[in-house]
Amino acid sequence: MSIVEVNNITKKYNLNQISEPVSLRNGLKSIFTKQEKSKDYYALNDVSFSINKGDKLGIIGNNGAGKSTLLKILSRITNPTSGSVQVKGKVASLLEVGTGFHPELSGRENIFLNGAILGMSKREIKAQFDEIVDFAGPQISNFLDTPVKRYSSGMYVRLGFAISAHLNPEILIVDEVLAVGDADFQKKSLGKMKEVAANEKTILFVSHNLTAVANLCNKTLHLEKGTVKQMGETGVVLKNYMSEVQSKKMSYSAESFQQGIGNELIRLKYAEIKPELSKDLDYWTVNDPFNLHFEFWNTLEDVDLNVSIHLYASTGECIFNIGNQPSKYDAGIISTDIAIPGHFLNDGSYFLSIMVVKNSSIVLANFEELFEFEIADYRENTTWYGKWPGYVRPNFPIIMKQVTSEI
Amino acid sequence: MAFYIKLFSEIFQERELLYILAKRDVSIRYKQTYLGIIWAIIRPVLTMLVFLFAFKNVAKISDISGFPIQLVIFSGVIFWNLFANTFQAVSNSILANNNLVSKVYFPRLIIAFSSIAVSLFDFIIGLIVYIILSLYLVHTLPITLLLLPLAVVLTLLFSIGLGLLFCSYSVKYRDFLQMIPLIVQYGFFVSPIVYTAKSLQISNWFNVYSLINPLVGIVEYARILLIPSYSVLNFDFIYLSIGTCFITFFLGIYVFTKKESSFVDYL
Repeated sequence: MSIVEVNNITKKYNLNQISEPVSLRNGLKSIFTKQEKSKDYYALNDVSFSINKGDKLGIIGNNGAGKSTLLKILSRITNPTSGSVQVKGKVASLLEVGTGFHPELSGRENIFLNGAILGMSKREIKAQFDEIVDFAGPQISNFLDTPVKRYSSGMYVRLGFAISAHLNPEILIVDEVLAVGDADFQKKSLGKMKEVAANEKTILFVSHNLTAVANLCNKTLHLEKGTVKQMGETGVVLKNYMSEVQSKKMSYSAESFQQGIGNELIRLKYAEIKPELSKDLDYWTVNDPFNLHFEFWNTLEDVDLNVSIHLYASTGECIFNIGNQPSKYDAGIISTDIAIPGHFLNDGSYFLSIMVVKNSSIVLANFEELFEFEIADYRENTTWYGKWPGYVRPNFPIIMKQVTSEI
Repeated sequence: MAFYIKLFSEIFQERELLYILAKRDVSIRYKQTYLGIIWAIIRPVLTMLVFLFAFKNVAKISDISGFPIQLVIFSGVIFWNLFANTFQAVSNSILANNNLVSKVYFPRLIIAFSSIAVSLFDFIIGLIVYIILSLYLVHTLPITLLLLPLAVVLTLLFSIGLGLLFCSYSVKYRDFLQMIPLIVQYGFFVSPIVYTAKSLQISNWFNVYSLINPLVGIVEYARILLIPSYSVLNFDFIYLSIGTCFITFFLGIYVFTKKESSFVDYL
């Protein structure tokens, strides 16, 4: 039995109205003058799907894919331009934490205010008040009667999430609220989500955190430019999504010397970055080793050459710079292979640059940001799905054993 | 009719939210002020004193149509403030609460209705001051005071209705926001706030005017209830004003509910 049914919904925004200010003058003008064809933007275009009671649906997609618009329509905040939505049951939507918190009011007053806004009755809030305060942590319980404008942003978010976590709807719509707070609090909130997911509740969950989607959701909807790209079992959809995302910029080749990038001395002929994927997965995870292979044309005879590889995180920090010992080469094609082990880089996006160096000091060619690639997270036997910190994620053995059985 | 019944039952279901939003507005109203609710007394009293000075010392008038100047002006001012504050609060309610409108769904009328709490609160404070003033000046209070809630309800119907109309259009066209201060500023003088309707009642356009500006009827009706032996020439214009109050209220609600689903696209 489907509990949420979305039939051909389309949400159209008029770009003219977005660029030109909406005012009475423009409003009147548009009545009296024949408008040139208005530029429409479709945030959602003919989207249909349905989910059953108890389903946990993950919604993924790039920025601008229409995820937020979809959530807004499902939670009745805005209406679709066309199409219909049928939702059976009480809905609570968490598009942000602490909606409607008033800075001048105390933590206590805001619990009642926010709870009421999210659709809880006064009795429900009273019954769960102590649990909410307890969940928010000791910092909050000490400052319960302080105006929330005096709270730190962390406290504000913790209190907001604690209230939301105690909602009891049949259908819960969640937008990225898990990406709040410190690692410790994230752990707690994801644990709570998991607890909610365990019972018969229906959840719609938008997230960029694919690990969380993989672990919380049985079904996944992949939106792309306002249309449904794929909808189905989470494992299948995530696999296709990741392999699509990862095929960004991972190989390069030139037909002839003249076409190759570089300069008159050095030109790049071929380059490829290739992960050794695990058998059961179609995408590159933190477990997988990868090889960098490239070939270049060298025009110099009897020259001391070496290469230098820079790897950068998407934020711009250099993760490593490696080079080899220089040795003698003649003009022609020179190939290079580098093997980088698995269990080394953490998940994230990376850029890679290649440099060809003469006499270990003169840079002959620098192929900056030649490759851009993304490594996905992989976890087993864990209940924590927050972003794993750090740029590297080595698998060093940790030996832990019981020394005695007495205290 | 079925439309309004369904709407009001939906709002009744959300009465806890309505109550807590109203409570929020009232409790933050005078936060971080030293004088607190005394401000609710200062404003109408100051308005009255200014006109008292103008009438007594400048124009050398000692009464208005035979009634104490203070009572006539103060009764007019508290009702005018009730109208003006409610009208402004309702007009601004959606824009002022855009963080709620764009993040959570509940009937938007809840926001508009809850915003009248502050003006009602100020009105009650003003009324208490009026009662004290009346006991001091004429040593009596008419029994008809008990009917005053009727006049309050009529004022609210009109100001909510008008506010909802402005609110519905101002979300998209902010031009309407610019008109609100003008209405509040000039409306004060074209309504019988610092004068009575008696002097105008002989004019043949007076009934039409009461129909257009229902504050004429409401304020005079309130004075009949508040000021001992207050009189008007006839009651026709009051009925006309009452009619306008109801029409404005239901029209405002109708327009608002037609527009509410698109609010979030213009916030």
